[in-house]
Amino acid sequence: MKSVFKSKEIGILSVLLFLCIILSVNNPVFLTADNIQDIFKANAILAILAMGMTLVIITGGIDVSVAAITSAATVITGHLMKVLPDSPLSVAAAFAIAILSGLLLGLINGTLIAKTKIPPIVATLGTMSIINGSVLYFTNGVYLNSSNFPKAFIRFADFKIAGISILIYLIALVTLITWYVMKYTMIGRSVFAIGGNPVSAVRAGIHLERTQLFVYGYMGFLAGIAALAQMVYTKSVDPNGMLGFELTVISAVVIGGANILGGNGSVWGTLIGVVLLGVMQNGLILSHVDTYWQKVIVGAVILTAVSYDFLRRKRMESKLLKVEVEA
Amino acid sequence: MLKLSKEAMLGLVLIALFLLMSIIAPGFLDSYNLSNMMFQLPELGILALGMMVVILTAGIDLSITYTASFSGVIAALCMSHHYPIAVAIGIGIAVALLCGLLNGFFIAIIGVSPILVTLGSMVLFEGVILTITKGNAISGFPDAFGQIGNMSIGPIPLPVIVFLVLAVITATLLNRTIWGRSVYKVGINPVAARFSGLHVKRVLLGVYLFSAFMASIAAIIMISRYNSAKVDLGSSYLLLTVSAAVLGGTEISGGYGKVKGTVYAVAIFQVLSNGLNLLGIPRTVVDILMGVILIAVLTLNYVSAKMSARKSLKVSAG
Repeated sequence: MKSVFKSKEIGILSVLLFLCIILSVNNPVFLTADNIQDIFKANAILAILAMGMTLVIITGGIDVSVAAITSAATVITGHLMKVLPDSPLSVAAAFAIAILSGLLLGLINGTLIAKTKIPPIVATLGTMSIINGSVLYFTNGVYLNSSNFPKAFIRFADFKIAGISILIYLIALVTLITWYVMKYTMIGRSVFAIGGNPVSAVRAGIHLERTQLFVYGYMGFLAGIAALAQMVYTKSVDPNGMLGFELTVISAVVIGGANILGGNGSVWGTLIGVVLLGVMQNGLILSHVDTYWQKVIVGAVILTAVSYDFLRRKRMESKLLKVEVEA
Repeated sequence: MLKLSKEAMLGLVLIALFLLMSIIAPGFLDSYNLSNMMFQLPELGILALGMMVVILTAGIDLSITYTASFSGVIAALCMSHHYPIAVAIGIGIAVALLCGLLNGFFIAIIGVSPILVTLGSMVLFEGVILTITKGNAISGFPDAFGQIGNMSIGPIPLPVIVFLVLAVITATLLNRTIWGRSVYKVGINPVAARFSGLHVKRVLLGVYLFSAFMASIAAIIMISRYNSAKVDLGSSYLLLTVSAAVLGGTEISGGYGKVKGTVYAVAIFQVLSNGLNLLGIPRTVVDILMGVILIAVLTLNYVSAKMSARKSLKVSAG
């Protein structure tokens, strides 16, 4: 029990709870099941991408091409769905196509970073510009709407189990898989090792290139799933819809306590970060705050969260040092 | 084999591209087109110089374009309220310096990593600008102000002169002053820099103030040229500034980079996008090519570094 209170997610969680209490006092709508479900549904794409980004950031890397990969996957899947027949198999095909295209693009990033040693931010900046350019070139920015999708996909999108949208199961599934991978698999532990100290990780026999390839491949894989979630949520394909979303994903992960320098971060922290961003947005709308102010507040929260996190970590380190001296 | 520095290679690439475009692109060498290119280049160029100095310390300034936009919007507001031009520009620069101070405070004094701070401040500045402008464009400047972005002295546009002067100043600052040399040292190893008695905090603060200052100059040129200021002023330049600095040979992990390289890289971007535009190639393909070039250059760097490492290994073995 004590370890729960000492865990690093507790700080951000208390901020989230505090915010929720204020909002539910302010507006009775906030705490209704519908509203809470809406918050999760609206942030499903963010949650899925943030899980992948957590891994990337733990290795000390960054992937600014996630939004581009996601829109590429939606565009590819959307255009293929135009020709697919109306059958449940088409939904399965859509899954396969979206995931494969995301995975492929992610592996390209991984290859550039692992094999040709291009710094992650530069490599993904390059692929982002290539992917965004290609998407716009091939689509001319044309929007696809639900009339282009097979009926089976629309039925799938509206599908509910026990009154809960399929999107929420998707978030849960992705979170659990990522958590399992991080905690119980060799490759997941390698991710932490490399982020903590790449040189000693390699000396301990961890395969740096393979781990990097896995991390960016997994990010691409999740971008494929996020593409599906995007299509389920909006029932449309907008080639421009995700522009700039990568920065939201990175902020969610960072608010969740992952260390941008690598080595530190958790699936649960990221999930809390996503929910905090979602609740904040929802709350600002519910309390009728001018939309222009919302960005100011989000920016201020990011700045406060990261500096608070940093200061806390520094204090903990100095405490650790003291103990060593005494011993 | 002739040994060339990274920057000299880029210079050759630039000349080759220029020659290629003047042969294949119709109207590339027209005086109208040339002056057009020269008017467009300084905006990205000045921002890229600011970004380069930040990257030299292993940092990044994602808020650079919104700093520019913020200072541009404030200067524009002052002018539309009939303040004198010089006062408006002064206020614009002061606003940018405040933005730089905010970034510098979090990065240098508190010690949060640059990418996070500037990510947050980027959203913050965008929000503040939106709150001030409600998303509208601000226009209605005195005629004399329009001269800054559109005037030429002889055949050379004023913005280009400003850009070149700033480039020379940046190079001098980096190479001839204690602050400039410290910037490189902090980029290579901040801990060693501190133990050698450098004021790392002061150096970092200076770096973010410098990038903010460059942002404000770019903003003034931009609003003068467009005759209006809006929240997304120059926001499309953000990733291009990073690309230009990196293409110009600046190490993203800090410690190495030259003004010359960045200037060449900006010119390469300009020649390429202008030439391809004249050839009727869509804007999206130009974006694709920019990405390809960025990755290709870095892959080449990697391959050549590996080859020279192998060679030196052989020499030492022999």
